[in-house]
Amino acid sequence: MTNDPMTENRELDLWREQWSGVARPSPEFQRQVQKRIKVQNRRFWLGNLLAVAGVVGMLILAVYQLSHQASRLEKGRATGLCVLVFVAVTCRLWFLRGTWRAETQSIRAFVELWHRRVLSQVRRLQISIYLAIGWIVFCAALAAANWATIRPELMVHPTAYLAMMLVLVLMLRVIWFGAMWLRRRKVAELNEVTRLLEEMQTMND
Amino acid sequence: MAFVRETRRALEQQFERIVGEHGAAISRLGYSYEAVAGIREELVQEIALAIWQALPHFRGECSERTFVFRIAHNRGLTHVGRRRPAQQSLDDLEEADEPVDPRPHPDEQLAQMNQRERLASAVQSLPVAHKQMIVLMLEGLSHAEIGEVLGITENNVAVRLTRARKALKETMGVTQ
Repeated sequence: MTNDPMTENRELDLWREQWSGVARPSPEFQRQVQKRIKVQNRRFWLGNLLAVAGVVGMLILAVYQLSHQASRLEKGRATGLCVLVFVAVTCRLWFLRGTWRAETQSIRAFVELWHRRVLSQVRRLQISIYLAIGWIVFCAALAAANWATIRPELMVHPTAYLAMMLVLVLMLRVIWFGAMWLRRRKVAELNEVTRLLEEMQTMND
Repeated sequence: MAFVRETRRALEQQFERIVGEHGAAISRLGYSYEAVAGIREELVQEIALAIWQALPHFRGECSERTFVFRIAHNRGLTHVGRRRPAQQSLDDLEEADEPVDPRPHPDEQLAQMNQRERLASAVQSLPVAHKQMIVLMLEGLSHAEIGEVLGITENNVAVRLTRARKALKETMGVTQ
């Protein structure tokens, strides 16, 4: 292989000429991009609106129940809801630490940030799964401890309780499979990002 | 409110200009990351979308070209990291541009070979770091600009560029 600068330059010019004809944007490119921008803007606003409405709605409901319901059960549920929202938001913020922005603006910094983000997502999912299991165990223990109070009501409306349990089990199964699917995807993404980082590192050496 | 509208209009104009000026380069860069035509078109649109999202944060610390290529490569990398080849449908694979064997063909066929396709296929098959180097070089960026995009020094650019060119030649099967 020759290192003659003249030959190298000729070769580079030839490559550049060939490369310039490799691909051209479609005539519809600008219009399609504008369309996607509009869709994305709409999705962004709707998503934020729904998230804020959801959190505020849940808090209003919880506060309303705390101030208007005399029943201890209702107050407990409302407090639980508030705690759940607080814990979820705090956990999310905690796991977002160090993943806001890249240290520099280079591609390598971007891949490192991406790696941190995916790692944080995988950890968050893992913690969520443990928390969900803990939550189920806690609820089961609570129900067992209050069995004397629950049992008479269960005897009066057995079908309603059974339907509720069935819905809960189905819901948990859907959430569980969803979480597992998401985890598999994220782990695969993590492996790919790690591979990319290693590849970039190897090329640097 | 008028200020917001004006700022947005200015951003839209800047974006249209950037897409007009760099649209072809973005398409070529998309080609280096994705072989399937349909998915590639999606990728190129996503790159443009990413540029639109990043545009309000562009403070002119680097050239516009550097800014565009940095975002485009970042988006290309994300695409590589998230795609799942196992899930590509047969239709997708059929839609892929004709794969071109990067090795040299017999003499009688060599004359008919599409050099452009050979170069593009070779660039596609390079490892990511080499691919980035080669694409930026083919797009005519200076060593300083390549260094800025990749976050490495100019000396490092020269060293890596030599390796990347060697890898490209080997992939294309060019022995001189």
